[in-house]
Amino acid sequence: MPTSDVSSPEPGRRKTLALLVNSTVAVIGGAFATLLGVFAVRPTRGAVSERWIRAAVLDDLTPNVPVPRVLSVPRADGWYRARARETVFLLWDGDKQVKVFSATCTHLGCQVLWDGEQKEFRCPCHGGVYDANGAVLDGPPPRPLTTIDARIEGRDQTVLVRV
Amino acid sequence: MTNRETGIGRVLQWLDARTGFRTARHVLLDEEIPAGTGWVFTLGSVLLALICIQLLTGAVLTLYYAPTPDHAYESVRFISSTTAGRLVRGLHHFGASFLVVFLVLHLLRVVALGSYKPPREVTWLSGLALMGLVLAFALTGYLLPWDQRAYWATVVTINISKLTPFAGEVVAAVLKGGSTIGALTLTRWYSAHVILLPALLVALVVAHLVLMRLQGSSGPVRPRGKPFPFYPYQAFRDTVVVSIVLLAVVLLAWRGMPALEGPADPTDATYIPRPEWYFLGLFQLLKYFPGTLEVVGAMVVPGIVAAFLALLPWIDRGPERDPRRRPLIMSAVLVGLLAVVGLTALGWRDRPMNAAADRWSLREIGGRQIAGYSGCAKCHSDTGMADPLESLALSRGAEWIAGHAIDPEMIAPGLREPPAARSEREVAAIIAYVRRISRQPYPGFEPKVEVAAAVWARYCVGCHIIDGDGGKDGPELSHAGAKNDAPKLRTWIEDPEAIDPLADMPSFGKRLSPEQLDAIAEYLASRK
Repeated sequence: MPTSDVSSPEPGRRKTLALLVNSTVAVIGGAFATLLGVFAVRPTRGAVSERWIRAAVLDDLTPNVPVPRVLSVPRADGWYRARARETVFLLWDGDKQVKVFSATCTHLGCQVLWDGEQKEFRCPCHGGVYDANGAVLDGPPPRPLTTIDARIEGRDQTVLVRV
Repeated sequence: MTNRETGIGRVLQWLDARTGFRTARHVLLDEEIPAGTGWVFTLGSVLLALICIQLLTGAVLTLYYAPTPDHAYESVRFISSTTAGRLVRGLHHFGASFLVVFLVLHLLRVVALGSYKPPREVTWLSGLALMGLVLAFALTGYLLPWDQRAYWATVVTINISKLTPFAGEVVAAVLKGGSTIGALTLTRWYSAHVILLPALLVALVVAHLVLMRLQGSSGPVRPRGKPFPFYPYQAFRDTVVVSIVLLAVVLLAWRGMPALEGPADPTDATYIPRPEWYFLGLFQLLKYFPGTLEVVGAMVVPGIVAAFLALLPWIDRGPERDPRRRPLIMSAVLVGLLAVVGLTALGWRDRPMNAAADRWSLREIGGRQIAGYSGCAKCHSDTGMADPLESLALSRGAEWIAGHAIDPEMIAPGLREPPAARSEREVAAIIAYVRRISRQPYPGFEPKVEVAAAVWARYCVGCHIIDGDGGKDGPELSHAGAKNDAPKLRTWIEDPEAIDPLADMPSFGKRLSPEQLDAIAEYLASRK
């Protein structure tokens, strides 16, 4: 009875086929593992670019008095459109300069308030005090209030802050 | 083995003594295959490989997918936003199509070689059950992207399920979950797709394989010669065919992005649903059974086919496996196959062309202009607090956008400017634009066309049709330029009574600027 060459295993052929099968399976497995791994580990294309958003127009500000503004800052959270609300103080020098401070106390993260009479920022939690330029006057804060980049733009003198 | 003395050899021996993996390997790979078993017997392995791909890609897709109507669409967009994600989603999408194709090929091979004959009847039945499962996967998976296609195909599916004899309403209610197709439908289809069906699938695949191994491969009709071991001989054939098939799936996933249409919108009456291609035959069949006969196309015919397949081992009882000596069964299967292929081809040809193809309509272009001058860009810009108009990703329905466009403050409170007053038509145009921009980037048009589009979407659309969109009180303007030139059209628009004292059309000379008049007249004249 004739037998096909496949059914009479020769060691050399058997070894070659086994090598081919094993290496192909390894390549396929490796390729898929890499693809799925990359997708599972790194879903997004690097860091999200920062943006400038409008905080106020100069007409809204009083020279040399910090004015609070609540910003609604879009935050990238994958597919979810998250928004963080963040309070900042805008200090206008009455001319071409606006300084912007984060209202978050550098001590433990409470929100500072502007005391118009004493002309200083006060933190309600642990008694931190900052001057109008954000420098620490008293209490536990280790650093001045964080400044945020700002610029004035356009005909309507819009204050843009970087978030 | 030469490495018995080496470290690795000793570790393997230690492991084998405790796990018996060498025996397992022997049982798994050294199965005896009948002589002459050839390439057509690789189809089962292809299916196994494709099922693995579906399980693996599906598992990582769940890392990012969110099964809620509010977020499903956006999460799928997010998945598609990176190359790896697009590829994984593509593999899952096209892998499903390949799975259906190879299921049918495998089934035909089994039928042609009579492999369902004793003692393999239960293996055959488990295979049919697997086919049903794969179709259930296809159906449930189709809804998950929550785009227009998904939503409307599901509406049709659930309506068809109402035709189930005796229990139609109950079946439809179970499929729907809630009172409408919405959040409860999505979560239950998702749960079925990722938990219930995969568990069943794995169990059935294991059962199918165990049964296959218990009875051995059926092999060719008349095996000649000595059986040979599965590994590496048949395994080599399997590897070659599996590699080719997987390469094809990868290429398709690489080249062709699975479609993602606009987000599901239950209010959009213009959308024409169409099923995935492997349901097109069924879709076409329904067209031949109108009215009360519909149940015949939806339930009776598919039911007869399923029953015929399930009973095949008892219909075709003789021991003969040679297809040439079973003309009756072979011709019945062939007729069935031709019917499915023919219906699918007809369904493909008959597929309705969606009006919203790739071309931007005048209303959509106009909507962009209107959004531009209506102050939308105050917030929707690079320095605004909302996403720029160019990169809006729409995930809401038309009513939400309409409400938002009329009074942004009302729906999305925050730091807003008072809105500009907008007419109903302007809002409609903005909606059309937002819908379009969220699935296709703005290609750019000549400034004059843009101005004309805004004028048309604000005024003309009320009474005149262009490209099937607009009101019916005035004449259609799709070919307005065929008989009139620009100066005449301009005069007509400016003051219709100057040309025809009995004209019904109001004069627009005072409402439009000279630039707008020029733009709309030139645009209309260009439409031959």
